[in-house]
Amino acid sequence: MEIRPIFSAMMRSKTGVILIAVQIALTLAILANALYVVRDRTNEANRVSGVDDANVFMIAVLDKDTNGIIARQQRDEDTLRSIPGVASVALTSQMPLSQSGSSTGVQVDPKAQESQVNAALYVVSETFVKTLGLKIVEGRDFNANDMLVIDQSKAEKPKVTGALISKDLAKTLYPNEASALGKVFYQGVGEPPIEIIGVVETLVSPWGRASWNNNSTGGDSFILPARFIQPYNMYAVRTEPGQRDRVMKEAEKSLLGLVPGRLVVENKSMDQLREERYRSEHTMANGLLIVIGLLLVMTASGIVGLASLWVNQRRKQIGVRRALGARRIDILRYFVTENVIICVFGIVLGSGLAIALNRAMMSELELQRLPLVYLLMGAVALLVLGVGAVLGPAWRAAQIAPAIATRSA
Amino acid sequence: MWNYYFVLGWRSLKRNPVLTTLMILILAIGIGASMTSLTMLLVLSGDPMPHKSERLFVPKFHIQDMRGYKAGDDPDFQLTYIDAKNLLRDKRGKAQTVLFGISPTIDSGRKDLPPFFERGMATTGDIFSMFDMPFRFGNGWSSDVDDKAANVAVIGPELSEKLFKKDNPVGKTIRIDDRDYTIAGVLETWKPTPKFYRLYGTEATSRPEQLWLPFTNAVSREYRNNGWNNCSGDGAGPGYEGWLKSECTWLQYWVELESAGDAARYKDYLNAYVAEQKKLGRMPRPEQLQLLNLREWLEDAGVVGRDTKLSTWMAFGFLLVCIVNLVALMLAKFTARSGDIGVRRALGASRKEIFHQYLIEAGVIGLVGAILGLGFSWYGVHILSSRLASASDFYQIDFKMLMITLTISLCAALLAGLLPTWRACQVRPAIQLKSQ
Repeated sequence: MEIRPIFSAMMRSKTGVILIAVQIALTLAILANALYVVRDRTNEANRVSGVDDANVFMIAVLDKDTNGIIARQQRDEDTLRSIPGVASVALTSQMPLSQSGSSTGVQVDPKAQESQVNAALYVVSETFVKTLGLKIVEGRDFNANDMLVIDQSKAEKPKVTGALISKDLAKTLYPNEASALGKVFYQGVGEPPIEIIGVVETLVSPWGRASWNNNSTGGDSFILPARFIQPYNMYAVRTEPGQRDRVMKEAEKSLLGLVPGRLVVENKSMDQLREERYRSEHTMANGLLIVIGLLLVMTASGIVGLASLWVNQRRKQIGVRRALGARRIDILRYFVTENVIICVFGIVLGSGLAIALNRAMMSELELQRLPLVYLLMGAVALLVLGVGAVLGPAWRAAQIAPAIATRSA
Repeated sequence: MWNYYFVLGWRSLKRNPVLTTLMILILAIGIGASMTSLTMLLVLSGDPMPHKSERLFVPKFHIQDMRGYKAGDDPDFQLTYIDAKNLLRDKRGKAQTVLFGISPTIDSGRKDLPPFFERGMATTGDIFSMFDMPFRFGNGWSSDVDDKAANVAVIGPELSEKLFKKDNPVGKTIRIDDRDYTIAGVLETWKPTPKFYRLYGTEATSRPEQLWLPFTNAVSREYRNNGWNNCSGDGAGPGYEGWLKSECTWLQYWVELESAGDAARYKDYLNAYVAEQKKLGRMPRPEQLQLLNLREWLEDAGVVGRDTKLSTWMAFGFLLVCIVNLVALMLAKFTARSGDIGVRRALGASRKEIFHQYLIEAGVIGLVGAILGLGFSWYGVHILSSRLASASDFYQIDFKMLMITLTISLCAALLAGLLPTWRACQVRPAIQLKSQ
């Protein structure tokens, strides 16, 4: 091959070569890390909630008092159920991805001083699983006999018989067991045991992945069957496909009409909750995608600019080579090979830079280690881009007539 | 001579409009991206009260019991009701206050305005002077109001205009959760950034609360904290009484001292307080308490999020690529003009003059790129602000940012122009002329 002459030609104009290589290296370092962050954020934003997202919404109301609140809750649920297009209704203490709710430390060892994980706590009526569209993979769903009433103004606590837990929580609590069904866990030292009566496939917490809860992926949740005596009540509603938006409006109207002085605190679909929860993740991912796009355009324009310069500078030499018998394809190949060499050089440099940048960000920003596949993806993208960018100038070089050699400039 | 070079530079830029536009765009985009993220970083890492931040403190106690205790654990960033009340009673600072978030309903009684929720803060009368809160009408409430838990309120300008239009409502009443409150004052727009007094439970960028009620009054009405509550340990006993007696942390406490130097003395007092509480069987953890001033508090709360830092890193990496690219393009451009330089040198121009001429050309690119880049940053900040901050005008480019932008872009362009210009000066007239 003609590597040697290309190499010695490159050595004669080092500045340009170094500039292009440095640019490719910097681009790769940013590209690989940015791609990884984009992927990470998009994965989190698209995480499976376990809920039938498209058809579920929540509506929360605040009453002036708690007189006969249990009966009122049941009347609210019946009213919601009677709206045409409603498939199922449940009372719940919190909603997945709503960014507000309660979580508590749980553990298998009743004497452990430290809980294993901080898990989201859903306190719900017996139709919750059906309403959200959760999938029970083991054990059974709640039934009406499981339901308890919790009055937080009273000292005595009702005895919780059993809980449903998410598969993530089952794995966290009992990492070495095939099944957590029938086993127990505790909400802390001195608390009564809670039996696991069923496991649901997925139920994301109200926060998803959260920086204040580093031990959890955001999928550790458990569900208790109870009604609270309180003036604030939240209902989850699943509608028939396509009916959601209409039902949301009707639900608000009919719940408001049931109790004088009542206020609707919130009325939001799962899609809205997800959108609000992951807004900053989307902004970050989109911003980085724009940066990636601009970077690629910029690097390509740099390569085109310098390659054109080199072609212009070497018009005469190209003419001479053509006159001495080099074919057009030889000239084209010369410039492409030259560019590939520079790209490879830049990519090697860039891989080191990318890893160094990742290490720096790992220690400064608690970022995860960069998987090498992103580096590989970036390298391939840059190689393709480099060759693509040089094709134009190389093509023009190949068009230079051998007769140029005979002219003086 | 400078004028002439300016004209030459302008002409040269006009001769190759595509390349020139490309160079300017590259610079402008790089500047735009880096300035947008820098604005966010600066706003979030700013000091909301620079003249006072050394004298405003937040105490952090280890309130939890020994369960789950690890050496080096961070103390709680909020206080229990018991401790907040004790510290308020002792009044050891120049001024002190306590805060928690509330969200009561307001009924204007007007047909066209149904009852609505309003986010507010329960606090003490000291807060208005401590945080330099500006008043449009009236003023805050006295300690007497705090002692009597009276039905008195201070409202924000948005709420005031919503209920009373432009009128002065001081002395009128406002119906909050079915009880009438006398309005003591109306605040002017007050928007500290970041929102240091409520970093937990809301975003650091959310809109300021419009309703301020006496802490004692809010407690007498059994309002719960609309924000971050931590009840690890035994949790709370039954009812609101149980909540107040519990070791749950839910209150923010701020103290203003005469000077930063008083911090040591105040800390001694707090340590004595903790020792006293230990005798009562509370606060069993062996760690020291902390007393953070406003700046330390912002740092401690991690107001500048990882994503903000990450985007700043990425944006400046991007700016670096832009500059390298600009160097490459200028090099290409200047090298292509070796002939011109040869002629000028042969006609007697010194290296210095050539250097000046080409540096000015680079400067012109820098200036135009900077102005365009400023436009891009303004647009970027606008977009981000509408996406990220709940208060839409939270992020703003200020004069300082403007100057930084201009300086950075000019430096970037000159830096980018330096190498190509230096190379241009190396052109040897004889060789260039010969090859013509």
